[in-house]
Amino acid sequence: KVERTDDKSYTIQPHFRKKFRPMQVEGIIQEALQEKLGKEKYNVDKAQKWTRELTEGIKTKLKDLNWDRYKYIVQVVIGEQRGEGIKMGTRSFWDSDTDNLAKATFSSDSMFAVAVVFGVYLY
Amino acid sequence: FMDFNDEVGGDLCCRFKRFDILFVVQTVFDKEQCIDILKKATEEVLGKQIYTQNLTGQWISNICEKCTKKLVALNKPFKYVVTCVIMQRNGAGLHTACSCFWDSANDGSCSYRLEDKSMYCIVTCFALAI
Repeated sequence: KVERTDDKSYTIQPHFRKKFRPMQVEGIIQEALQEKLGKEKYNVDKAQKWTRELTEGIKTKLKDLNWDRYKYIVQVVIGEQRGEGIKMGTRSFWDSDTDNLAKATFSSDSMFAVAVVFGVYLY
Repeated sequence: FMDFNDEVGGDLCCRFKRFDILFVVQTVFDKEQCIDILKKATEEVLGKQIYTQNLTGQWISNICEKCTKKLVALNKPFKYVVTCVIMQRNGAGLHTACSCFWDSANDGSCSYRLEDKSMYCIVTCFALAI
């Protein structure tokens, strides 16, 4: 917690220990994907449910990290494994000092999944 | 300009006619405009192309960069994140979902889907107010 001695000081940067840490978040999402999809086979109806539940679950875990003033965007893509080619990319316009992204992939015989988390700081 | 009016109790009462100029800064996310930008950028890059594994990386970079540049050119106080997924049309299923922890009054997202004979392209844009 930043101690303010002057009423007119504003924090414009997150505290070093409370910065968005990609490695830590990567671990969280990898675990979430493994837990949810590890033993499952691709199923059209269930996949829709899984994407939604995964995004909500990951978001809740991120909130537990207690990083102040961070906004999170969680995106999960689940697809059937049929040998098709797929590519995913992202570009952002943000402050690279404070904002970052973390990603994880999961693949099995019947399906693949990609989860991306963007952490954006609110000044 | 001033109107001197001595009707009120003989006192000099100056009435100023004021023209209040309101500067309305649009800090709410404009979904329609954003979808339009995504649509134009995607169609510009993919047009009538056929899915080619080697070129997907290039296409995605181009789409994302075009979108980001046009969004930034709108000069609004937002940070942007643009993601793009291109998948070969093979009969396989694809599901995407996103969950956001943000300020729902000012922030927003929109996505555009392009369906071709050979591929699917989904472009999503998130705008976060500063």
